Amino acid sequence: MSRSSNSRWITVGRDLKRNKLLYLMALPVIAYYLIFDYGPMYGLQIAVKDYSPGDGIWNSPWVGFHHFIEFFNSYYFWRLIRNTLLINVYELIFGFPAPIILALLLNELRRQVFKRIVQTITYLPHFISVVVVVGMLVDFLARDGVVNQVLSSLGVAPRSYLSEPEWFRFLYVSSGIWQQVGWGSIIYLAALTNIDPTLYEAAKVDGAGRWKQMIHITVPGIMPTVIILLILKMGSMMSVGSEKILLMYNPLTYDTADVISTFVYRKGILEASYSYTTAVGLFNAVIALSLLILSNSVSKRVSETKLW
Amino acid sequence: MMKAGWKKWSAAGASVLLSLTVAAGCSSSSPPKQEANQKEGQEPAKLQTLTYWVALSSNVAATLKSFGDMTVYKELEKQTGVHVNFQHPPVGQEKDQFNLMITGKDLPDVIEYGWTGYPGGPEKAIKDKKIMKLNDIIDKDAPNLKKILDANPDWKKQVTTDEGSIYGFPFLRGDDYLLVSKGIALRKDWLDKLHLKMPETIDDWNKTLTAIKNSDLNGNGKPDEIPLLINVGDMGGPVAFLGSFGVNYDFYQVDGKVKYGPIQPEYKQFLTVMNKWYKEGLLDPDFAVTDSKLKDAKVTGNQLFATVMSTGSGIGNYTSLVKNNIPGFKLVAAPFPVVNAGDKKLWSARTYNFSGGVAAAISTSNKNPEATAKWLDYAYSDEGKMLFNFGVEGVSYNMVNGYPTFTDDIMNPKDMSVAQAMARHVRANFNGPFVEDKRYMEQYAALPEQKDSIKIWSEPSDERKLPPVTPTSDESSQFASIMNDVNTYKDEMFNKFIMGAEPLDNFDKYVKTIESMGIEDAVKIEQAALERYNNR
Repeated sequence: MSRSSNSRWITVGRDLKRNKLLYLMALPVIAYYLIFDYGPMYGLQIAVKDYSPGDGIWNSPWVGFHHFIEFFNSYYFWRLIRNTLLINVYELIFGFPAPIILALLLNELRRQVFKRIVQTITYLPHFISVVVVVGMLVDFLARDGVVNQVLSSLGVAPRSYLSEPEWFRFLYVSSGIWQQVGWGSIIYLAALTNIDPTLYEAAKVDGAGRWKQMIHITVPGIMPTVIILLILKMGSMMSVGSEKILLMYNPLTYDTADVISTFVYRKGILEASYSYTTAVGLFNAVIALSLLILSNSVSKRVSETKLW
Repeated sequence: MMKAGWKKWSAAGASVLLSLTVAAGCSSSSPPKQEANQKEGQEPAKLQTLTYWVALSSNVAATLKSFGDMTVYKELEKQTGVHVNFQHPPVGQEKDQFNLMITGKDLPDVIEYGWTGYPGGPEKAIKDKKIMKLNDIIDKDAPNLKKILDANPDWKKQVTTDEGSIYGFPFLRGDDYLLVSKGIALRKDWLDKLHLKMPETIDDWNKTLTAIKNSDLNGNGKPDEIPLLINVGDMGGPVAFLGSFGVNYDFYQVDGKVKYGPIQPEYKQFLTVMNKWYKEGLLDPDFAVTDSKLKDAKVTGNQLFATVMSTGSGIGNYTSLVKNNIPGFKLVAAPFPVVNAGDKKLWSARTYNFSGGVAAAISTSNKNPEATAKWLDYAYSDEGKMLFNFGVEGVSYNMVNGYPTFTDDIMNPKDMSVAQAMARHVRANFNGPFVEDKRYMEQYAALPEQKDSIKIWSEPSDERKLPPVTPTSDESSQFASIMNDVNTYKDEMFNKFIMGAEPLDNFDKYVKTIESMGIEDAVKIEQAALERYNNR
């Protein structure tokens, strides 16, 4: 530490003294991140080591990029990338706009009572645990489940949807929309209340109908919120909810359902290839980070909104 | 580690930074100390408590929370004065819990597990300093087990690794009678109703299953009869129909040469038959996703004609469960089918006296391995054998003309099955570190159909079965990485071929893919392991 930075620390020290209660309150949060988020990163090194439980993290031999290369050459590499991206792209295309559309529709409702009821009903599923949601899916979609019974009365042959790979993405994304659409719309509804009502009055004077008002005032009004949420969404592109996939998939649907995070779980915990899966997970995180940076810089360029 | 830096900062008195040293301290303490406890055990104190990690058998879990509540362990504590704290992973998560537990530093004193499932095999577990090599300890402190192994060189060969290590107190099936307990069983009463005889060949089966499909045998007016259910798990195990074609779902040997089943032409013939049966509705369309609960529902719901099951929890359980609900219900074992009448039956579900590496190992965290070994050795003594197989005289069995006869509480239990009732007292009907006694099975398989089933399922010669070989720890990581890919792929394609999602014309392409994953190398590793085994 040099002299000049020493004096810097003195100012920091003074600041600490002055606001010590504030810092004290921040302490648990900081400790949380250090212990649970940064501490475990120490273990990341096993991605470039040949970890064996007996030698421990520190003493396992270095192997460099061996595990990464093995993963890139793996038969399943492209399938995992494809599935991870496709499920996310589908969620982005269908899942992301759904709460926006719902919010816009709710905004057009005049009867407050009706609006409340719709809102309550649409965001209730958010509070159901994923385990229960998948349980419902399994029950409804079983060969003798309600869906097949309704369809067979219409003359459609029963099938077990959860064991057919071609249905997986649809079921995953649509059940996700059903569960989250109401909850997701809350933030947009909040953004809507921020729009200056005089804008609407001015538009009305200019002869704009409901449709024109929505296109030219409402939508641009919530655009900053949309973009921030979009960027955040891009950051979590590679980390799809593996819990739900783990609950929903089976060997029959691996073809379309197996994503990087579920692969990591299977190989890592069930087959004890710790180093290999750490490498895979790290690779996943790197891609996710690049996607986040990329979308942020794109957004910076095309609009004024950005995360940093 | 920036420890010196941290210290300076915290000396500045910033309370925020104190937590940094805590975190840094946490992580820097992670490298394990290698020379754990080896020397401390020299003056063995009297053993008072033990921690014991073992999967909770589902039959026990049905009525008890822990092995500690079982008669056998209550009595064992009385006899030896050692209190055991059992650690049970949640039922169904044994494998992941084991993998997580074994990476830790402080292991339970005793770990009972199928050690061939340890990444790299049992020998690797010893090299990793997770469990102890027991050869010397057994020589000195386990006279009963030593006597048994010396008297049965074949068993000794099975419990020893290629390097000559014994890694645990083994579960040994004490009689050939106990080696077969699984096979195809079918509804004899349905056969009789249609005046059909027991199917012998694949063609017979085809005709029989078709006849079942077309008759409303449960009489409910709906075509809901399922002629055949073999779920994926059973395909790999007792090789129900696959074995008829002379191959299995894994490695096997023909005259000492190792081959891999799923890429053989015979395997394609098998897939062709299954694909046909699937298309015609003879094979349960849900075969790939049926678990044991669903299977139970189908058998007891009077829907299923034939499936794979075991003597005890299958034929025995089902028969007693539906006794009052389905008149005439009769499950009997079917002989393993052959392709052409008169063919030699090559595959059954026979296991080895010591299979899967199920053994109680002493971990390196154990402070008192000698005393622990003595405690474990008790099970291999004459009294210990009685205790583990039959429990306590007067409680779970009575001596009738010199024959240990289970009490009525076990053989005719209320509100539970025989398997569950037995598991409240003894470990005979699942496994454990002791020698299984034939006399338990003679009672467990009390029905004539059960006794017959063991005879019928014992027919095949099993000459192509691979003995319990183990790759060396060097080979094992290569072997594991090849087989990880191959197994996932083969399981997926298995379903696709049968369900017709992948035309059978692509079988050659499938074989090429498996070859490109390195199956040749894996076969070589197994070949070398087999040769080492034969030379043990």
